[in-house]
Amino acid sequence: MSEQSEVDEMEQEHVPAKQKTFKKNAHIAYFTRCLKALPSQAEGQDGNRITIAFFCLSALDLLGQLHTFSEEQRKGWIEWIWRLQSSSGGFRGSTCMDIPDENQPGHLPSTYTALMCLGILRAPLDRLDVVALGKFLRSCQAADGSFSPTPIHDDSPLTSRFENDLRMTYCASVIQYLINVNIDISSAQRLIHRCRTWEGGYASKPGVIESQEGGTTYCAIASLSLFSSNSESIDIEGVYEEMKMVEQEATLRWALQRQIGGFQGRPGKLEDVCYSFWIGATIHILGHPQLIDSLSDLSFLLSAQSPLGGFGKDPEAYPDPYHSYLALAAISLSHPDLGLLSLDPRLNVSNDTADYLMKEMKRIRTKI
Amino acid sequence: MATATSSYIPLAERSIWSDVQPIPQDDAPDALVPIMYSQEYKDAMDYFRAVSARKEYSDRALELTESILRMNASHYTVWGYRMTTLLVLKKELNEELELMNSFARENLKSYQVWHHRLLLLTHISPEHPTEEIDYIHESLLPDAKNYHTWAYLHWLYSHFSSLGRISEKEWSEELRWCEEMIRVDGRNNSAWGWRWFLRISRPGAEGIKDDGKEEIEYTLRAIHRIPHNVSAWNYLRGSLKYLKKPLTPLLPAILPYTEREDVTITAKEETNLPMPSNPLPRDTPLPISYALEFLAESYQEQGLSIEAAAVYTELSEKYDRMRSAYWAYRAKRCVV
Ligand SMILES: [Zn+2]
Repeated sequence: MSEQSEVDEMEQEHVPAKQKTFKKNAHIAYFTRCLKALPSQAEGQDGNRITIAFFCLSALDLLGQLHTFSEEQRKGWIEWIWRLQSSSGGFRGSTCMDIPDENQPGHLPSTYTALMCLGILRAPLDRLDVVALGKFLRSCQAADGSFSPTPIHDDSPLTSRFENDLRMTYCASVIQYLINVNIDISSAQRLIHRCRTWEGGYASKPGVIESQEGGTTYCAIASLSLFSSNSESIDIEGVYEEMKMVEQEATLRWALQRQIGGFQGRPGKLEDVCYSFWIGATIHILGHPQLIDSLSDLSFLLSAQSPLGGFGKDPEAYPDPYHSYLALAAISLSHPDLGLLSLDPRLNVSNDTADYLMKEMKRIRTKI
Repeated sequence: MATATSSYIPLAERSIWSDVQPIPQDDAPDALVPIMYSQEYKDAMDYFRAVSARKEYSDRALELTESILRMNASHYTVWGYRMTTLLVLKKELNEELELMNSFARENLKSYQVWHHRLLLLTHISPEHPTEEIDYIHESLLPDAKNYHTWAYLHWLYSHFSSLGRISEKEWSEELRWCEEMIRVDGRNNSAWGWRWFLRISRPGAEGIKDDGKEEIEYTLRAIHRIPHNVSAWNYLRGSLKYLKKPLTPLLPAILPYTEREDVTITAKEETNLPMPSNPLPRDTPLPISYALEFLAESYQEQGLSIEAAAVYTELSEKYDRMRSAYWAYRAKRCVV
């Protein structure tokens, strides 16, 4: 309880918004509810259930609640996730397209969130088909270094590069970081550099400079950092090292310029809870978390809490799992005093889970 | 089971589907985040799985995908199936494009809707994409900052110019449209980004040919119209850096926003730059932090690091308190 009174003291001084207290128990209840059932309005997420599951599980991980679920319950969930593994590598987003005797290909963002979920649930990864996963990842990479959400078939009339953006690069960089697949890292790095904008942020794709925003800038910075921490990814042309300092300063400036209390995703837009994570984590990865006005940020985040748990994108919005999780992730990064587990800003899971995943991947790889 | 729409007739009771055995979803008992599907959605998906297991590309399959997509516009597997069916049946793709107009209006934020549209345009491949451009321009009127719409507009120009189907006249008409967007809302950062593409980064862009003169003048005029507009200030810095041009020669046009008496001497040089209105509009609170930052960077450019640090310190202590720590960091960096 001493923790709680400390929090209250701090809030009385600095947080004038309507919701002032961090409603930890309400959030636990919110994510537990979502995990067990979503209303029919969530049908739009039917193909991406593993990602919604990731928001809920990772939130409960940060809230320190995973031990409250029975061993049997966790095993049941783990079973469900393994069912999403495609025989051609990677994971699907949901069981909604499962047809007897037919293989559905993996989906890159779902593969990232499925791996994180397995780590959060502390699943042994012996059943992970690492070879097929590597093949899957390579089959998603295009010649320009970008990644497609599903394996590329150049002759297919359904192929376009419209979704080959930095979100996909980010998912690929996390998987590459975990299992060290032989993908073309330098072309992936070059692609990220081609996404830089005149403001120091990053666009979703080269040339699409009009739609840069906090989320894609996070994907760029986190991917660059993950790629460069891999010993095999030495940047032969020296492009990255040479421009790193100047570019990072420009990105840092752009990111800090987005704080208007909470954070906005782009100049001229309103604050939105998710950018406290996307931009906050970017600033963390760049190594300058102390430059954020974290009390103003917290004040905005707390004001967007729903009394029944969860966070909306702003104080007027209904809560949803995406904004609710990213709010917790942001709070974990900048307010360790509020009792959440600490977060790995690059993988976007708790440091404990990130450590587990690294160790488990090492174990199964030496086994092969 | 209770349902919201009592008039709904389950597919099993419709004769058109009598030959199909639906495939129910096989979700484990311990599934994560199960969705409490509406009867309509569950029913349609059960038949969709059956249709797709049979690889049936038919009119009824098209209808089925449409009803699912109206309930869930981000169902990428269903979109893919629909596209394949349209191509197999050699459907009139322009009709599908018409249908997509209504979809796009209701689902502006779904990647899949725009992706489907992009595939349609790729297959239709019109000699001139004029109609499509007009449609996108119109869609941006109610939602001028929509990420997906701008990304699609960018694709449209990149794709059709790579096919040699965008004339110089069309490029300059697009620039005029973009300038009108900025005139209506100078703070629309997406429109500024579009200008960057049109003037600086697209193949054949004109903006770098005159060493950035027109870009700089255009941007200064935008700043003079709305002095606190971060988009215009960022564009100015961005183009100077891109063109590797010094900041200092622009100081005469910037200094009035810094509210500093002591630097007026530097500003006395003859200049043809667009200048701020004199006096400034009454509702312009001074100094403007972007102008102070510009001044500080110009000092750094001239090797005057102590002066630069002093300006950053003022930003930190007085004029931009939210970024107090950041400006202190900048001050420290320029004197080490
Ligand atoms: Zn958001």
